[in-house]
Formats: sequence, structure tokens, C-alpha cells
Amino acid sequence: MLVLGSRSTRTMLKEITRLVSMVQKAKHGEQHEGQHYRVPLQDVKTVFPHGLPPRFVKQVKTFGEACLMVRKPALELLHYLKNTNFAHPAVRYLLYGEKGTGKTLSLCHVIHFCAKQDWLIVHIPDAHLWVKNCPDLLQSTYNRQRFDQPLEASTWLKNFKTTNERFLSQIKVQEKYLWNKRESIEKGSPLGEVVEQGIARVKNATDAVGIVLKELRRQSSLGLFHLLVAVDGVNALWGRTTLRKEEKSPVAPEELALIHNLRKMMKNDWHGGAIVSTLSQTGSLFKPRNAYLPQELLGKEGFDALDPFVPILVSNYNPKEFESCIQYYLENSWLQHEKAHTEAGKKELLFLSSANPGQLERLCAYL
Amino acid sequence: MSEAGGEACPSSGRERAVAFPLPFCSVRGLGLLGGARPRWGSVLPTWSSHALASLLWKHLTDAPRHDVFPAPRASPNPDTTQRTSRSQRAQRRKALPPRTEKMAVDQDWPSVYPVAAPFKPSVVPLPVRMGYPVKKGVPMAKEGNLELLKIPNFLHLTPVAIKKHCEVLKDFCTEWPAALDTDEKCEKHFPIEIDTAAYVSSGPSIRNPKARTVTLRVKLSSLNLDDHAKKKLIKLAGERYCKTSDVLTIRTDRCPLKRQNYDYAIYLLTVLYHESWKTEEWEKYKSEADMEEYEWKNSSSEKNILDTLLQMRAAEKTSASGEELLATKEVDDYRRSVVSLKNEGDSEKTLSQYKESVKRLLNLT
Repeated sequence: MLVLGSRSTRTMLKEITRLVSMVQKAKHGEQHEGQHYRVPLQDVKTVFPHGLPPRFVKQVKTFGEACLMVRKPALELLHYLKNTNFAHPAVRYLLYGEKGTGKTLSLCHVIHFCAKQDWLIVHIPDAHLWVKNCPDLLQSTYNRQRFDQPLEASTWLKNFKTTNERFLSQIKVQEKYLWNKRESIEKGSPLGEVVEQGIARVKNATDAVGIVLKELRRQSSLGLFHLLVAVDGVNALWGRTTLRKEEKSPVAPEELALIHNLRKMMKNDWHGGAIVSTLSQTGSLFKPRNAYLPQELLGKEGFDALDPFVPILVSNYNPKEFESCIQYYLENSWLQHEKAHTEAGKKELLFLSSANPGQLERLCAYL
Repeated sequence: MSEAGGEACPSSGRERAVAFPLPFCSVRGLGLLGGARPRWGSVLPTWSSHALASLLWKHLTDAPRHDVFPAPRASPNPDTTQRTSRSQRAQRRKALPPRTEKMAVDQDWPSVYPVAAPFKPSVVPLPVRMGYPVKKGVPMAKEGNLELLKIPNFLHLTPVAIKKHCEVLKDFCTEWPAALDTDEKCEKHFPIEIDTAAYVSSGPSIRNPKARTVTLRVKLSSLNLDDHAKKKLIKLAGERYCKTSDVLTIRTDRCPLKRQNYDYAIYLLTVLYHESWKTEEWEKYKSEADMEEYEWKNSSSEKNILDTLLQMRAAEKTSASGEELLATKEVDDYRRSVVSLKNEGDSEKTLSQYKESVKRLLNLT
């Protein structure tokens, strides 16, 4: 494998292992398994303002392009989504697997597909961020028992706006909402106004999020658009929090308004879309490191709430995918070690990472 | 075995004061060879007291020397101040080789160690090492190893010795009943097993407080219990029940006598059995958290699936009642997969079963 090849040979090699896509996304099939496809950088900015895992963002910046591998779990999900019956209640899909096997990136693949198909995306990049490290908890004005998280809510609203710009003017609010004595949102005004209000008035951000979610749920059932709810780290919704009230007693997740509203979204009492989620031990609180099975991470409450769902296992690379990943790194001149392209070197990498995508990525960073 | 301390240092022309007998050396040489216990009393060789006194005097009056290595020496003429000549030195009794070198491989071991005895390195033919080694060293050998002496040894209770004991004890036993030749028959006719221990020791009193414990073991499958009674008994027994082997173990030692403890254990078993058959008023408030295993009926999972299916039917404009939906084969499959998932936990098998059943229910291809 040439490390310093001429530009033309390099692009030629790239074509062999990659499937350049934009239009062809919808045609991802079994034969494309193991191959990479490129996401245009423009899309990355709009569809994934906050969605990609941080190491992948760094990789995108280094390589100058975002390439995702087409893998079986994502293909399976895409197959289900293509054949969704929008009259039936939303089906819940749960991606689970060990640490570093590619659940978040599979979720991103699915999100990109749906974005291209013009669905409305509600993407919560990491639900664990909402249950920990929040210094400013306000008591909610809407409901005395609950707590607001203005910072998290406003950041999420900003990113939501970036992703779904075009829908915000189309969707109309169907109810009148009162912010306070002087301000209110009238019936029939576009959803964009609610979002603006939430971003501008940080105090009302959480309530704005609640309104957005409620309206989207109601209106997707009417069939105006397809709604994809994508939550990463869904086990945070039914776990424990590390937040405490002023008198040092712990806060339960249902006392947080954001979590409460999100739980309502995860119920399948609406139709016109789908719910895709991943389990994540990485950000989870009070769970052992090697827990990855649904019941272990969700707990009894979570399982009962999500039941019935379709669990999809994301596993380590199979030999073909591993080979393809190494080729990708080699072509981008990421592996500088002289033995990296030899058979012995590849076997060593396979052994050291045990075909775990996350581990492999970390190992190759040193080479 | 090396000679006693006397020869340990080369003579090399140094004058040697008459040896002052050292206790250690002589014990090594004489005391433990073939004896039952070290005769610490007989430390000194059997010399006349006169010889002893003159030795002592000699030692005290002579000028002190740095190169004196006192050694036991059955010196032929202790009175002289001259060096012992070669012929006289040759008569000194040499230490005999240890008994282990003369032992046959198929010897009768119980006669070597008939009773509990301390570890004798010259009698035990095993190359045993014990002790924490120094850096770049190995554990100490058995000769003169105090660690091996400190620990209890069971050299007198080898399987051969025990077989011999049993042969002797057989004369005091009765025959095993011929009808009870399999374990199942024993369990069927004698489901309750009682374990007691008796202790014998030499001492002023024959009583031993440990002898009063009584352990009663019974398999619950041999008791006449229905489903509710079994669950209640297991809850009442708590830690005394082992799920994998289905054995209830009751261990009592609160009474001073073994007889009393045995009666108490039988009483406990009777009480447990009868109480578990009764149903109390407050048992009808048993909630989901108290259940031992997952029950599908009236669970949230049942409600969820029912809601989902009703919504699906409503969307398709076909109506169906709850009972009809619950009776279909797909829902039954789903029920079984959820029950196995909850009771057995997550595994590839249970999760894939669950996945298939959900896919079939929700009509996903």
C-alpha cells in the first residue's frame, strides 16, 4: 500500500473501497456491507450539529471528510424504517452492544438517512448529559414539583433549529401557550417562534422544549411529516441522577421536566414515525463498566416503559469490515507505521483490538 | 547428615579448647533419632558429673579464644589439656544416617506414625520445603525447620491408616440394610437427614460445647407442599433454603444439650410446614415487588402490548376485543419470551426470541 502516492492513484484507491453517496444512500443494500460512504460536509453541519461522538468529530476534521461504514445493524434498521407503516403506533428500536462497537455511529447513519428522506429529526445526542453536572436547577414555573434545566434546554433548542430549519416555519402551533402575564404564543403561529422564545429567554427554555415535543407528537399523527426520535443513552431516562436539591436530597429523573417530557416521547401512543435509541454505559451513572445488556442498563422500570421494542445487537467488526477499516486508514495515510500494511501487522492489530471498532480507532491513533 | 557442630569448622591447626557441650548440637545428634519426643531433658551426653565439673573448670580458667567452636565431644580423656589425637578423635561417635534412607517404598506407614506426633524430618521421607525464602533463595529444607514443627500434621491419618481404623471399627457396626441400595430409595424412605458431631479428647472433662449443634437437612420436593405453600415456606426460611439443590437446612445450637436441639429442629420444621399451608389475611396485599418470579398476567407488559395492538387495529379500521388479541399465537409467543427474559435474565437466546416475537407482533418484515 502506497503511503505517499500520487493524487490520482489515491483517489482511485479510494473509489475501490468507498461508495460515494448522496443520492445512492437510499440504495444501501447487503452488498455494500463493509464499505464506507461519505457524508458531505454540508450535511454534517446541518444534520449533526451535536450528534457525532467527539473522537469522530476530530477524525472528520483531520481527514477533511466524514466517512461512515455501512454495517449490518444499520442496514437492518434502515430496512425496517423503509417499510414503516405510518398508521401504526411508532415502533421502538433499541441498539445495544458492548462498549465501542459502533452504536452511536449506527444511529448517526440512520439519522442521516432519515434526514435525506425529509423526516423531522428530534435528536438527543446524549441523554446522560441531562441528568448530571447541572449546576443551575430552577424550580419549574409550570409545575411546582419539577425542575428546569435552562442551559441544556437552550443548547438543545439551538441545535434543533439548525437541523430542522425548514420545518419550523411550516408547522403551526395548535394551542395557545402563556409564557407569563405579558407574553404568549397564539394558536396558529409557527413553531419557529416557540424555539426563538426558548433560545432568547433561557428561563423558559425547558418549557419551550416541552411545547415543541408535544406539538410534534400531536402533529406527526396527523401525517404532515414523518418524525424520527433518536435518543442516545436512553438508559439515562430511567436511571438515577447525580443532581441534588438545595437540601441535599437526590433528584429523581421524573422530577426533571426535560426527562419527563422525553419519557412521554418514548411512549408509543403516537404514530407517523419511529423511535430509535441506543443504550450506553459510557455516560451512565451507577452502572458497572461491563454492563451492556438491555435489562441491566434499563432496569425494570425502563424495560417496562419501552416494552415492546425491537432490540438490535451491534457487535464487533467481522473480518471483512475490519479489513475495510484498515484500508480506509491506510488510504488516508493515518497509519504511518511501516509494518501496518503487512499481514502480520494487521493480525497484531486484530488481536490487540479484538475487532472492537473503538479500540481499533484508539490504537491506530498511535501508529 | 552433617556431623555435629564440632566438625563444622576445619581444624586448620588451631588449638581447640575442650568442647563445652551445647544443647542444640547434641539434640540434633542424639535426641530425635527414632524417639517419640525430643528429650529436652537429656540435653547433655551421659557423662559423669565429675567429668562435667572438670570440663567446666577447664573452660573457665583457660584464656578466652575467639576461634573456639564448642563441640560435643565424648572425649576419652577429659582431664588432659592436650589436643585430642587422631585416634582419639576417630572414636567420636558419628551421627547415623537418617532412617528415611533405609525405608522401603511399600513399607507400612501407619507403624511409622501410629499416633499424632510432631514432624520428624529424619523419619518423613518426603523432600518437603517450608518457609519464606530469602532473595534469590528457596524455601528452607525440612531439617531443623521450625515451621514444619509448628503446624499440625496428619501423617498419622493417611488413607491407609484410616482404612485400618475402619476395619477395626467394623466389628462394632451393624449391617447396612440391603433394601436401601440406591440414593433415591434412601431419600424416599428417609427424607430428613440429621447431622451431629461428637468430640473425644483427653483432658479432665468429657464434655465439649461444640457437640450440641444439630443440622437438619430436608429436600422440599419430599414434603407435601402446593405452589403457595412452597413459596411461603421459602420466604419464611430465608437464607436456610438453597435454590439450586432444593434443600432446607436448619442448624440449631441454642439449647445446651444435643437431644434438646434435635427436638427444637424437628419442631421448627413442623411449624414451618403447617404455617406455610395457612393463608393469612394480609397475604392478599402481595405486590409485584414481592413476587419471586415474573407473572405475565396483569403486568405492565401485557397492558403495553394490548394498547399497541388495539391502536394498530384501530388504524386499520378492524376492531378486535382484548381477549381475542391475547389469545393469538403471536401474543402467546411474546408472553413466553418476556417471561423467560425476566426470569432468566438477558442472554443472546432470550433476546433473539424476544426480538422475533416483537417483529411478528408488529408486522415488521
